[in-house]
Amino acid sequence: MKRFATSQVLCTVALTVSLLAASGIASAGTQYVVANDDAAYPFGTGVSFYTINANGLPIFLQQVQTGGYGIGGGYFGMNRLAVLNTSEQQCVYASEATSGNIVGIAVNTLTVGGTASGSATDGGTSNGIGLAMSSSYLYASFSDSNTIGTFAVQPGCSLTFLNDTSVAGLQSGVINGMALRGNMLIASYTDGSIESFDVSGGSPVSNGDKQYSTATVNSQDATYANSIDITSDGHYAIFGDTSTQLSVEISDISSGKLTKTKIHQSATSISASNILLSPDETILYVVNTQGDTVSALFFNASTGQLSAGCRSGRIGGISQNWSYLASAALISQSGNGSGIYVAEFGSSSGIATVALSGSGLQCTLKEASGSPALDPNSLGLLSIGTFPPRSF
Amino acid sequence: MRCASRWLLAIVVCGCSFLRPLAQDCPARPNSGTVVADPFNIYSQNGALNAQFVMAHSVDASGYTHYCYDYQAPHQVVEAPTLRVNPGDVLNLDVVDKITDTDPMKMKMAPPSGPVCGDSGTATLNSTNVHFHGMNVPPVCHQDDVINTLIQPGTPGFQYAVHVPTTEPPGLYWYHPHIHGFTEFQVNGGAAGALIVQGMEKVRPEVAGLTERVFVIRQQYLVPWIPGPYELTVNYQVAPLLGADKPIIQMKPGEKQFWRVANATIQDFLQLQIQFNGSLEPMELIALDGYPLAQTRNETTILVPPAGRAEFIVQAPPSGGSAVFFTNTYNTGPTGNLDLSQTLANIVTSNDAAATTMPKATPPSADGVKFFDFAQHPATIQRNLYFSEEFGGTNGPIQFYVTVDGQKQKVFEPNEAPAITTKVGAIEDWTVENRALETHAFHIHQIHFRVMEIDGKPAPNNDLRDTIEIPYWDGKGPFHSVKLRMDFSDPSTAGTFVFHCHILLHEDLGMMHKILVQP
Repeated sequence: MKRFATSQVLCTVALTVSLLAASGIASAGTQYVVANDDAAYPFGTGVSFYTINANGLPIFLQQVQTGGYGIGGGYFGMNRLAVLNTSEQQCVYASEATSGNIVGIAVNTLTVGGTASGSATDGGTSNGIGLAMSSSYLYASFSDSNTIGTFAVQPGCSLTFLNDTSVAGLQSGVINGMALRGNMLIASYTDGSIESFDVSGGSPVSNGDKQYSTATVNSQDATYANSIDITSDGHYAIFGDTSTQLSVEISDISSGKLTKTKIHQSATSISASNILLSPDETILYVVNTQGDTVSALFFNASTGQLSAGCRSGRIGGISQNWSYLASAALISQSGNGSGIYVAEFGSSSGIATVALSGSGLQCTLKEASGSPALDPNSLGLLSIGTFPPRSF
Repeated sequence: MRCASRWLLAIVVCGCSFLRPLAQDCPARPNSGTVVADPFNIYSQNGALNAQFVMAHSVDASGYTHYCYDYQAPHQVVEAPTLRVNPGDVLNLDVVDKITDTDPMKMKMAPPSGPVCGDSGTATLNSTNVHFHGMNVPPVCHQDDVINTLIQPGTPGFQYAVHVPTTEPPGLYWYHPHIHGFTEFQVNGGAAGALIVQGMEKVRPEVAGLTERVFVIRQQYLVPWIPGPYELTVNYQVAPLLGADKPIIQMKPGEKQFWRVANATIQDFLQLQIQFNGSLEPMELIALDGYPLAQTRNETTILVPPAGRAEFIVQAPPSGGSAVFFTNTYNTGPTGNLDLSQTLANIVTSNDAAATTMPKATPPSADGVKFFDFAQHPATIQRNLYFSEEFGGTNGPIQFYVTVDGQKQKVFEPNEAPAITTKVGAIEDWTVENRALETHAFHIHQIHFRVMEIDGKPAPNNDLRDTIEIPYWDGKGPFHSVKLRMDFSDPSTAGTFVFHCHILLHEDLGMMHKILVQP
């Protein structure tokens, strides 16, 4: 019965995608799953593009080589991809942690549009370079220099470096996760502190709200915020925690500043370093970064409350041999997202497909038959995305 | 913990270390494919064993960093000799630190927070001390204190005077550095040796008169915190994973030998086997972790966690036959390292095989053996502890915790207050869970514990151990656990000491806490 439900969802997704593609509504004509391959020297890195087959599974299409080198690892909650989908241009930006570059790829041609780097001191060789963007600016968090570089978006998927902003956690923590909504950029640090910035002027200016997350305080540093998502209305910021259990925190940011976070925790799985809201904001997907599982929590976007949902079984592919699951991307860009694609880190990396089914406050997460899809170009995949991206 | 991406970082960070010119401070180690010799022995005389070790450091031609306990034997400098003491002896060991690692990248740790024992200052990769692993001796300065004892290079050295109890169980113990933050580096470099409390034949007469062999199995990585290829060694001879140049153990055809095997690896769980033509041969298990079994038993596989010891009787194949000393694959879980199966040595029959012989059996001491009957005493205190891990990324930050249930998870700090406080006379049951996705090895200093339960069920053998494996959680069902009976009734346990995971990276990164036993 569950198998039937799962396959039904995937077929619906695939049909929807096909119809959208056929009607020309989908931007640039095709839906992609995108992977920052993050290959380390001596292997040149690039971005792998996958189309989606009739069963909703990613099918490797091609790699766009970006000319530099990655590091094959780093922070789990750091997003190394950013997607721009405006009426003017459609681009995928990817960071190259060893080379220190941000590379823009034009989606309609799958070619490199431009490569930009930050200041001479910007670097991400230790744990990567995270990305977040609006239609006008791209922000790059450099884990070596603990800086946020601000880049102006230019035609042809290129960028122009503007300036750096030095940042640090309350105990000199390194910038980790980063997310942007409207004029608010939110960052997490490895020492458990979180901070928001006003980017109305382009470059980030601290809102003066740097604080430890509640889970960090309660656990005496044994839990800290990693990846971040923000509701479409900018009311709530959600933090996926690195922890020895599932731990997610929510801050009301409707005032324009971070407020004390509220915690949702569960001991049934390990770590929540990566999270992602569904398009309709009823589901928070949580990647249990250790332990090979994915969880779905029910989210009430009006109240900011989370409640228990469901958890997948162990993902059966690559992560069985290498335990780390990392970032997630939505299967569908509407409704509850229908499940997620999940990056599986490993010397042989891949992308798992985990479908969501159910209704009301009942749900099931199940890995699709045929999952995972191998990423032939990555030895340490952490960041994936989709094109077109989620609408917010 | 493992992470492929660290390879590049390691090469960048540590490349200078690899390229340093070959130094000569450690003795040359045996060539592969040669006959394995027992370590050099130092015996106590007239109630005392007196020796001086020089802790040295060098890098070999293959890039492996050696840390060695050098001992001036009559005709040569030998490395990490076997210390042989009797119950009631004093072990007077002088240790001079001559580690001269000038790598500017080396880390430093905060100085010990308690009373100075030995030298003062900040602990670095050049600092050292000695832990007498498994010995039931006091956790005090000049005996078996690892919290405050610091030996720095360029100083006259430090004098240990370890008073071996008259009731100390006869068996195989070992010694190694225990300098917080750097233990893994030094043990990975080979700084470890056997310590034998003589008299096993008095308690287990099965071994009387048998040829005795001592095998210290070590593990070396190019960089110990990089989970790349590693090499196991048998008495410092590399046992290659592939290739024909295996160490050779000689035995007379059909003879029984008493093997004393120490797992001095930094993280390898050994599953020891003797194979004749691919079939498993029984080994008569005599002792675990230096404690004689109440009854011997035959095993075809003996699991020895890192820091554990196994003593057993092996029978050689008949003349012309061949056998192998083998360790089988051990799955340490999704975030653990894969401990690969491999031959440790080829067993070759030879009438020329020579080694020391165990004495004839004599009556045991009237003092008896410590801990013999404490399983009969009920525990008065129950505690629950658990191992857990968190990873913020493939390159860290990584936190390894051992936590007393109800307390906050935190990594060990030298200046921390004890996580557990008890009193001399207490008998406690500790249930230790593993909530991580990696197998851990629980170890407590100063005492042996009796294994009461495994996963909530009575343990099939209530062995006395000082180190025990707790398998990883597979994501469903209850966590694996062991219930261990701790006996603090001996006044010599008074003081502050530590319990920790004996995967040494985990220990160095803080999977450790203190216990205070009040007088």
